Amino acid sequence: MAAVTTPEAETHEAHHDHELPYAERVRNNRLGLWLFCFSEIFLFVAFLAARFYLWRDADGTVIRPELNQLLGLATTSVLLISSGFMAWAEAAMAAGDRKTFSRALIMTFLLGLAFLIGVVGLEWRGEVAPGDGAFGAIFFGMTGIHALHVVSGLLLIAFVWFNRNRYTAEEHWGVEATAIYWHYVDVVWVFFYPALYLIGEAVHIG
Amino acid sequence: MDKRRAYRQVLWVFLALAILTGIEYVISQVFPSAALLFLVAFVKAALIVNYFMHIYRLWREESH
Repeated sequence: MAAVTTPEAETHEAHHDHELPYAERVRNNRLGLWLFCFSEIFLFVAFLAARFYLWRDADGTVIRPELNQLLGLATTSVLLISSGFMAWAEAAMAAGDRKTFSRALIMTFLLGLAFLIGVVGLEWRGEVAPGDGAFGAIFFGMTGIHALHVVSGLLLIAFVWFNRNRYTAEEHWGVEATAIYWHYVDVVWVFFYPALYLIGEAVHIG
Repeated sequence: MDKRRAYRQVLWVFLALAILTGIEYVISQVFPSAALLFLVAFVKAALIVNYFMHIYRLWREESH
């Protein structure tokens, strides 16, 4: 008996014929994600420029508020370790090692959360207050916009973890995209940390 | 890249980043120089962009 093809089935088949292969879709997605990251550089560079323009004394010397150095180093280290776990998780998924992937992703999430608690929960209650003029505006602007990106990254990590069974060693764009985003958040902090905590003469506010 | 080699690479890059962060802190305490601190930051960023974010995949045929 000959197979009967309905117009709907033909349309469906034609649609699939035009679907891009997975590798090509990933290539396009990757380019899109990198362009997004690139566009965000302008935002973070603007904050850095404002920091170096506004945090100066009457003589023009670069200054910074007296922040908790130990807390700054600790939060930076925590974010760096979380980035290491994220890279480990991605490598594990690419190797088909699901158990390591799952564990490393949980560690990434927990460390990301610890970073957030360190900055928003502790540092925001420290030396600088939002009403401290240029100090407050720049400090809360930089740490706030970065914390918002950390929150977005944590949501992505949670999404990937809950959907972990959908990914395979061959096809795991969701994991790669989340990893790229998480490392990007880390790269931003790589520049924010010296700008906020290390460069310039420390001055006491209030 | 096989699993062991990939894991080892992650570990080595992480160690390099940790050491550079330590160097950064020491620089800020001993001879604070904005240029030097940003130089270290650029090296750290380059390591992350290349080994963790795999920017080279943008120019390479690859499935995942």
